Amino acid sequence: MSYWNAASRRTERALAALLLYLLGAGPLTAQEAETNLFGSLQAIFFTQKSRITLNTPLPDGTTTLTEERNSFAIQQLDIFLQRQIDDNFSAFVDMEYQLNYSSEHRWGSMSLQEAWLQYSHSDAFNVKLGLLYPAFNHLNEIKNRLALLPYIFRPGVYERLLSNLYRSEDYIPEHAFVQLSGAVPSGDFFWDWAVYVGNAEDSYISRTDADGNIRQDMDRKFEFLSGVDPTNADLKLIGGRTGFRSRTEHFKVGLSFTHDYDNLRDTTRYPMFFTRPRAEFRGDARRMRLGADLSGSVGGVRFEGEFINVFYDYDLADQAGFDMNLTFAHGMLGYWFTDKLFTYGSAEFGTGTFDKGWSHSSLSFGASYLLNSAISAKAQFIVHEQRHDEDEDRAMLKFVFLGLSVLL
Amino acid sequence: MNIGRKIVHRAMLAALLLCAPLALRAQMVVITHASVPVKSISVRELLDVYTLNQSRWDDGTRITVVDVKSGKGRDAFFEYIGMSPEEMQRIWLRKQFTGKARPPRSVGSEEDVVDLVAATEGAIGYVNERALKSGKSVRIIARFK
Repeated sequence: MSYWNAASRRTERALAALLLYLLGAGPLTAQEAETNLFGSLQAIFFTQKSRITLNTPLPDGTTTLTEERNSFAIQQLDIFLQRQIDDNFSAFVDMEYQLNYSSEHRWGSMSLQEAWLQYSHSDAFNVKLGLLYPAFNHLNEIKNRLALLPYIFRPGVYERLLSNLYRSEDYIPEHAFVQLSGAVPSGDFFWDWAVYVGNAEDSYISRTDADGNIRQDMDRKFEFLSGVDPTNADLKLIGGRTGFRSRTEHFKVGLSFTHDYDNLRDTTRYPMFFTRPRAEFRGDARRMRLGADLSGSVGGVRFEGEFINVFYDYDLADQAGFDMNLTFAHGMLGYWFTDKLFTYGSAEFGTGTFDKGWSHSSLSFGASYLLNSAISAKAQFIVHEQRHDEDEDRAMLKFVFLGLSVLL
Repeated sequence: MNIGRKIVHRAMLAALLLCAPLALRAQMVVITHASVPVKSISVRELLDVYTLNQSRWDDGTRITVVDVKSGKGRDAFFEYIGMSPEEMQRIWLRKQFTGKARPPRSVGSEEDVVDLVAATEGAIGYVNERALKSGKSVRIIARFK
């Protein structure tokens, strides 16, 4: 444990040193400066009421569990640095702090989400190198820019507060390392394209479980390296997105695709309430994600929709008759009542994660009001339900979120 | 007869008064740095430039987009390219926060726009024609009201 704590501290110090270096790199806010510092902060208060109904009684005979919780939190703070190095090269850094981050108290987290260098040959051809959010559907590239989103609680697979429920990487490619992309004008539209490669999912790197304990269930061949992805080339992520976007940015549609491998040795995450073990397969499962996105605005109406289907090709599961495929769908319909007030309703549905019969759905209503050019007041009401069809267990959660989003 | 003339005169006066705001509406111009290799620009091209979808001129020079913080000229410009200022702000923020583009340089007055465009290679801005100063080397590439 002490080794990992020391490594964690070294990482934090390196990030802090990088921040100090970049802060000292030159004037940061004036338009004349070549380096810009900006950010996104979201502070929230939420109240949660949960009710779990179990068809099979617990040992003490309980069939219904309830819980009520209220909390304040700095949900997320992202600090961005952007530097236009010359006409062709630019660099970008995103450092993220979550949930009242404190290394002293060991809660929350601090992470480097993006750090890349871009070579821009033209608007039709750009190359990004480094840690980056790859193009996948509509939300993946802006998933942690909370001050730009109307939501407090993002669609499930993008919401870090649900990390106990979803493994986001099972549904979306969280990071890549090389991306080629561009936008080519075509009539009233741009044709957007992007292709990228990256590591296999993060769990191949991690040697610790969610509680910080060293995991004992890993494949030995992966244990001689730490801190880097030890997998060979055929397990890596490849993916891309293609789509059309109107020149007014009022309409956007696209298809996304990835191919990589899922580390089934990582058994640290289960569905939140129904703690059945995940599928008992310990290996590298070939995985393909397919995504479709549609978003746009007509007058004051705004709509967004995403669909994700994850297909697995894994002989052991096939032989056992186990369906590992995952589905996630999300839709939002909103209306700008004024230039400042946006209201919306959204719905989502998903199946997985590796627990046959388990599914979940959410309904959400919310509003966002621009207090000024930098501050938004937000409110959101969510009803989230999880079901297990085989034994008819149910969990119902109701959330009320109040929040303030600030552009820094 | 006199009554008839008076009615006609009053009607003409009323028509003049009604038309005056249109006639007095400022002539706006889109300007670039003198070295920019463009003689005219269409509304669609302006839209691409101000939505930050076009980042370079034909000779490869990077475009520096200049915007004025507020004013009737700003409203007229966004109306001309068919966007609302709020929509544009959201587009700029999204591009800035994803590292795809830098937002326009925003200055406080039209005089500042002229100064910045004249001093910055590849720059483009919009101003009331009256704000143009002699001795400032800018090129007019579009006119609108």
